[in-house]
Amino acid sequence: MTDAPDSTPDPTTDGSAEEPEPFSDGPPPLPRPMLVLDGELPDLPDAPAAEPVDHGTCRCGGAFDADGYCTSCGEPRPDPRHHFTAHPLPELAAVCDRGVRHADNEDAMAVWGERDAEGGLRAALVVCDGVSSATRSAEASLAAAYAALEVLSTSDAPPQDRLVTATDAAAQAVARVGVEFPESAPSCTFVAGVVEGSLATVGNVGDSRAYWMPDLGQPHRLTRDDSMAEEQVDAGLERSVAEAGPLGHTITRWLGPDAPDHTPRVATADVSAPGWLLLCSDGLWNYASEPVALHDVLLAEQERVGTDPLALGEALVAWAVSRGGADNITVALLRTGGGERPAEAGRAAYPDSVPEGTGQTEMKPADGAGQDGAHG
Amino acid sequence: MADFTATVHQNEFLPDGGTDVHGIVSVTCSGAGTVAPMSSASGESGEIIIVDVSGSMDVQGVQAAAYAASAALDQIIDGVWFAIVAGNHEAALCYPNGTTAAMARMSPQTRLEAKRSLQRLAPGGGTAMGRWLLAAGQLFGTVPTLSKRHAILLTDGANQHETPDELSWAIEQVRGRFQADCRGLGAAWQVAEVRRIAEALMGTVDLIRTWDGLPQDFAQLMQQSMGRGISDTQLRVWAPQGAEVLFVKQVSPTLEDLSGRRVEVNALTGGYDTGAWGDETRDYHVAVRLAPKAIGQEQLAARVQLVVGGEVAAQGLVKARWSADSLLTAQISPEVAHYTGQTELASAIQDGLRAKAIGDDVTATSKLGRAVQLARETGDEAATSRLARVVDIEDAATGRVRLRRHVDKLDEMELDTASTKTTRVRPQ
Repeated sequence: MTDAPDSTPDPTTDGSAEEPEPFSDGPPPLPRPMLVLDGELPDLPDAPAAEPVDHGTCRCGGAFDADGYCTSCGEPRPDPRHHFTAHPLPELAAVCDRGVRHADNEDAMAVWGERDAEGGLRAALVVCDGVSSATRSAEASLAAAYAALEVLSTSDAPPQDRLVTATDAAAQAVARVGVEFPESAPSCTFVAGVVEGSLATVGNVGDSRAYWMPDLGQPHRLTRDDSMAEEQVDAGLERSVAEAGPLGHTITRWLGPDAPDHTPRVATADVSAPGWLLLCSDGLWNYASEPVALHDVLLAEQERVGTDPLALGEALVAWAVSRGGADNITVALLRTGGGERPAEAGRAAYPDSVPEGTGQTEMKPADGAGQDGAHG
Repeated sequence: MADFTATVHQNEFLPDGGTDVHGIVSVTCSGAGTVAPMSSASGESGEIIIVDVSGSMDVQGVQAAAYAASAALDQIIDGVWFAIVAGNHEAALCYPNGTTAAMARMSPQTRLEAKRSLQRLAPGGGTAMGRWLLAAGQLFGTVPTLSKRHAILLTDGANQHETPDELSWAIEQVRGRFQADCRGLGAAWQVAEVRRIAEALMGTVDLIRTWDGLPQDFAQLMQQSMGRGISDTQLRVWAPQGAEVLFVKQVSPTLEDLSGRRVEVNALTGGYDTGAWGDETRDYHVAVRLAPKAIGQEQLAARVQLVVGGEVAAQGLVKARWSADSLLTAQISPEVAHYTGQTELASAIQDGLRAKAIGDDVTATSKLGRAVQLARETGDEAATSRLARVVDIEDAATGRVRLRRHVDKLDEMELDTASTKTTRVRPQ
C-alpha cells in the first residue's frame, strides 16, 4: 500500500529491512508508556429506510408482496382465475367468480361488443361452466369461452349458423385441453348470445342459461337446460323440487369426451326494449331460478348500484355469495334499448325476501356434485 | 458479487386448531470474496486484536500472546485498518503507538511496526474486559468508513477488576458496533462470562488449552475474518398481524438465540444482526404462533430474509396450511427435530455443568445423562466423546451416567464452550 496512514505517527526509528525480525533478538525491550484509552464511543449512524413496491392490495387492506402473500395478514394472493371481469362496452360486462365453497373456479366467460358506423350494437356473450368431477375443467371452460367468442366476433354468418360454428370451436378447444393433459377428461357447459341491433340469438348446451329481462313486461328464460331436472319438470315435477333434488344438477349434454352431441339449442328474442340480456351459470340461478325471481334480484341490485353492467354483475355475484356461494358464479350482462333504468318496473317494489316458490330451493346449494357426476 | 440462497425445511400442515409453526431456514452465501482492502462502495474493514497482559499472563504468556498476535497480523490483508489493544485493568493502545486514539492501515511497513510494538508488552495489573471492549469501540469509531468491524479478544482470567454489572454495561455500549471472537487461555477464565461477550458481539468462544495452541488459532480466526467479505447484513423475520414470534435461533454452525437481538424494522418485522458472511451456510430455526384458521386455509407464517445493505438478498417462506389429514399433520420435519434435539443438548450440558459447579450432583447427573442420550439421538459423536471425559456413560440410550471422580478442569471447560457447536442433519 502506497498511502501510509496519516494516523500512524512517525517514530524516529524507520522500519527498514535491516531491522531484525521481531522475537529473534531475545527478551523484549523495556515497555514504553502506552496511551491508555478512555473508551469514549462515537454515535452510531441511522439505518437507511427501505422503499415500498406495489403488488396489489389484500382484502384485509394490507399490501401483497412480490412473494404472493399479504404483508399484513399473510393470506395468499388470490389466483386471478378466481375472480375476473370484462367490460368491453359501457352497456356490456361480465363477472366470473370462484364463489365460497369451491377451491377452484371452473366457470369461464368471454364477451365482445362494438358499435357499427350507424351506432348499431353488435355483441357476443359466452358463459361456460366446467364440470368439477372432471379434471382440468377450469382450463377447458376458459379455452371454450375464448374459442367461441373468437368465432362469434369475427364471423359474418347468420347468427344461428355462427352459434353452431362457435359451439364446434368451443368443443374442439375442450378436446385440445384433454390432449394437453392426457390423464384428464375435461368437460363444460356452454351458453352464448349474439346480439345484432335488436335481435338476440342464444344457444346452449348444458344448464348454463340466458334470460331476457325487459324493464317493463314479463322476464323470460331463453334457454332450456340439458339436465335431468328439466326432464323431471317436463314429466310434471315442480321446478323448485326438481332443481333441488339429487339429480338437480346432472346434465344430459356437455362439451367434452363422451358428449352425446353438442349442437346448441338456439332461440331468439327481440331486445329492442330497454332491459337486460343476462347469461349465467347455475352458481347464480341456483338461488333464483324462475325468471321473475331472478329479475327481482336484478332490479333490487340495480336499485342499489345503478345500470353500469360491471357494477351490477359484481352485485349479482356478491348476492349469490351472500346466499352461500356454493358453486362458481358467472354472470354476463348486456343493457339493451338505451333506457337508463326502468321508469316503472312491472314489480317496482322489491320484496324484502325472495318470492314464494323459490324460497325453499335457494337455501339449498348444489351439494349433489359428489353423488352423481353433476357439474358443480 | 455474493449470492445468497434460502431453503426452508418444515411441515406446513397443521391440524384443526393447530397454532405453532416451526421452520428451519438454511441460508447459504457463495462468492463472498475477501474483505474490501481499500475504500469501496461496500465500505472498509477493520480488525482489532485485544491481548490480555494482566499479571497472571506472566512474561512467558504475554510473549506467547504477542507472538500469536503477530501471526494474526500476517493474515490481515494490506489496506485493512487495524489496531492492537493491550488489556489489563485498563486498556492501552499497543499499536498505533501514538498519542491519540487511532487505527492504522495495514502495509508491510505498519505490519513490521506493529510487531515491534508487540515486543513492548509486559505483564502486570488485573483484568477489566469491559474497558477493553469500550477501547475497541472507541478505536473503530475513529474510522467512519468502516463497514466491517471485527475483534479478537484473548483472556486468561476472570474479570476481577470490574463488577458483572460494569461488564454488562460495557457490553451493551458496544453491542452492534463490532463483532468479537473470544478466546480463553488455560483454566482460570470463566466460560459463562466470556460467552456473554461473544454472544452479544456475534462471535465465537473457545478454549485454548496451552500457549502453543494460540498462534495457529489466531491466524485461523483472522483468516476466516478476511474471508468474510459481506458485511452490513441482517436477518429479518416477518410474521403476520396477530401472530407471535416464539423464537428466532441460529442453530448451525453454532447455537445462538437471536430473539433478544431483535430490533424493530416495522410493526410486523424484526431485524437480527448476523455479522459478516463468508462462503458458508447458516441455519435458523424460526417458530411462530398463529391464530388457527379453518381446514383448507393457507397463511404465510413467516418471511425469513437475509438483507444485505438494506436489500433482500434471499428469502425463505414458512407457511401454514390447516388440514384434516392426520397423515400430513402428524409429520415432523427431520431438520426441525434434529435442531430441537441439538438445542436441548446444549441446554442439558450447560445446566448439568452449572449444577456440578455448585455441588448439586443429583441435577448434574440427570442433566448430563440427558445430554448423553441426546448426543446419541442426534448422532453428535463429538459431543458424546467430550461428555465421556466428564461422566462415565453406563447406558447412552437411557442416559444412565455417573459423574467422574477426577475430571480435568480443561475437559469440563471444553465441554462447556463446545456445547453450542451443532452438527448438521444426517442425510436421510
